[in-house]
Amino acid sequence: MSTTLHLLSHSPFGDTRQDSCLRIAGPEDAVLLSGEAVYALLSAGEPWRRLQSSGLPVYALEEDVLARGLEAGPGVTMVDYPAFVRLTLTYDKVNSWL
Amino acid sequence: MAKSMLIISRQAPWAGPAAREALDIALAGGAFELPLAMLFLDDGVFQLSSEQRPQAVQQKNLSANLQALPMFGVEQLYVSASSLNQRGLRADALALAAKALDDREIAELVSHHDQVITL
Repeated sequence: MSTTLHLLSHSPFGDTRQDSCLRIAGPEDAVLLSGEAVYALLSAGEPWRRLQSSGLPVYALEEDVLARGLEAGPGVTMVDYPAFVRLTLTYDKVNSWL
Repeated sequence: MAKSMLIISRQAPWAGPAAREALDIALAGGAFELPLAMLFLDDGVFQLSSEQRPQAVQQKNLSANLQALPMFGVEQLYVSASSLNQRGLRADALALAAKALDDREIAELVSHHDQVITL
């Protein structure tokens, strides 16, 4: 089993990328939120509930979170760009949901 | 040994350039005999609908290019069963023969490839 880091950058509201990603992700995979995808961190939102119930590690690009006035919920690891790059090397491959 | 690649095509055929670009990557890779597989997911399954008439919206026929995939050596063609079910489509009524996979099988498919491109 090889591992995949799923890179999401579209808002989970009104877009199916996050849902499809969680549906087909493997048990050893992880999700990295950047750009509009960080709106999934809204703690009262439905996407956040689905992220949490996936049980996958969740990372979020810190500057994109801060820019939007959001906070990382429990279990979310904030990363900067160097940590982002290191993460891509930790997993066997990256799936960018373009 | 060349790295294996899975191309996930998840946009509807006339929604923008993504569907055609994913197909171009597959055809180009196939022409160079790269080990490629292609998965149709989400609205990407609409690319496989029969009876499309793209000329009605001044577009070129994508179906002809799709039919060329096996000729270019891209024979591993898959479609998401849940994406088909959500849309009320049947795997045996598609314009291109693609194997329907459930979500768990798709996770394994992704896992078994060295690289993945999602468009």
